[in-house]
Amino acid sequence: MKESAQPIVEAVNVHKYFDDNHVLRGVNLNVTEGEVIVICGPSGSGKSTFLRCLNHLEKIDEGRIRVCSHYVGYAEGKDGRLVELRESEVAKQRLNIGMVFQHFDLFPHLTALDNITVAPIHVLKKNEKEAKDMAYQLLNRVGLAKKADAFPSQLSGGQKQRVAIARALAMNPRLMMFDEPTSALDPEMIGEVLDVMLDLSKQGITMIVVSHEMGFARAAAHRVVFMETGTIIEEASPTEFFDSPKSERLQQFLAKIL
Amino acid sequence: MKGWDWSSFLEYLVSFYLLEGVWVTIWLTAASLLIGLVCGLIAALLRMSKSPILQMPARLYTWVWRGTPLLVQLIILYTGLPQIGIKLSVVQCSLIGLGVNEGAYLSEIIRAGIMSVDRGQFNAARALGMNYRVMMRRIILPQASRIIVPDLGNRFNGLLKFSSLASVISLEELMRRAQMLTQVKFAVLEIFIVASIYYLALTTIWGVAQAHIEEYFERGYSQKNSRRTKTLARTE
Repeated sequence: MKESAQPIVEAVNVHKYFDDNHVLRGVNLNVTEGEVIVICGPSGSGKSTFLRCLNHLEKIDEGRIRVCSHYVGYAEGKDGRLVELRESEVAKQRLNIGMVFQHFDLFPHLTALDNITVAPIHVLKKNEKEAKDMAYQLLNRVGLAKKADAFPSQLSGGQKQRVAIARALAMNPRLMMFDEPTSALDPEMIGEVLDVMLDLSKQGITMIVVSHEMGFARAAAHRVVFMETGTIIEEASPTEFFDSPKSERLQQFLAKIL
Repeated sequence: MKGWDWSSFLEYLVSFYLLEGVWVTIWLTAASLLIGLVCGLIAALLRMSKSPILQMPARLYTWVWRGTPLLVQLIILYTGLPQIGIKLSVVQCSLIGLGVNEGAYLSEIIRAGIMSVDRGQFNAARALGMNYRVMMRRIILPQASRIIVPDLGNRFNGLLKFSSLASVISLEELMRRAQMLTQVKFAVLEIFIVASIYYLALTTIWGVAQAHIEEYFERGYSQKNSRRTKTLARTE
């Protein structure tokens, strides 16, 4: 794990409301480069919402979030206040952050290969050959070299998610976020996706993973974070987290799922 | 009673005079649909913008142009506007009339198509760093096209027939040519039956083309959704 002067993610006092629903109630989280963080907690705790705030797919109502030293979605104005950025500028900020979604969200009208190359070609302006070469490499890495010309509708859930991971990696992000990547998968396919994620974690990529897969957390995480009703209740190394939870709420949660 | 005359009928069936009208009908329909697509796309995107100020013109447009008869719109363009100094040619009136009218209907079709695209697609596209233009062009509109294209095909079919309204403002498309011919030749039934046959040929040929176009847009979905999108010929 690299020691960096500035954390790659700095979230301070993040609040978010969906109408009257106070979904995030003062979340504070720092992530250093190369760290693998697993966030777990009951549904409705705000874990996915928090992730989507990190790349400004959702707007925060209070607090500050910095990713790679930028306020994602905002720029610092003259008097220190945050000014909202135009969508095109936010798009550029998102290039640092890769995201993998629970329901894969592959582009159904494109082949697996094209899913991976569409952003490098049309956003990063890479030439087609360069993009395709890299895409083939990534497909190889996730074990799907033979499925380059398949459409998403021809792939299994596990295969789709692995393509989704390759698609996110193709943009060379500094931070990879996973929003319950295996929750929509049939049990026999969970392993193949977790294997790819484990592989990634060993290569020093900064990862924030929202997941209930405790095996993965134990094997890959540097820190496990427990969120409930919009705040972080406890965070610790995997051994401390699972074997000696300090807070009562975490103890209750672990009793339910383990 | 004059009765039906087979030789007249066969004569007019291959009449060059009428076939020229068919040609006008074809390009008038195609051009109007293109104009309609441009108007409709702009209106759809405006209608879906977050700012109510941008939404207003789109809502006004679809309300007025879908709420008044095409025939009235054409007549206003050709015989009404000159009164306030705007004199447009017959062709211009026909194109504008048909095109802008069509755009009002297409804007709703396009909007429905875009809204039918799964929300996750927008998130995935944005997460990859795509801006609005790239996202729409590469991800959203291609998928929306799957929903839009069958409807678009049906609209083209309708336009082939509605183009006949331009005869009222004296554009020499098929209907007008048929009318003019009956004033000289008096074989009224034969001539209009011939015209109908031409219209039927056009709409039928289009139906075949439409099926092929829809098939193209269905690729990638064929495994999961094995049912073909049926082209419903809507009577207008």
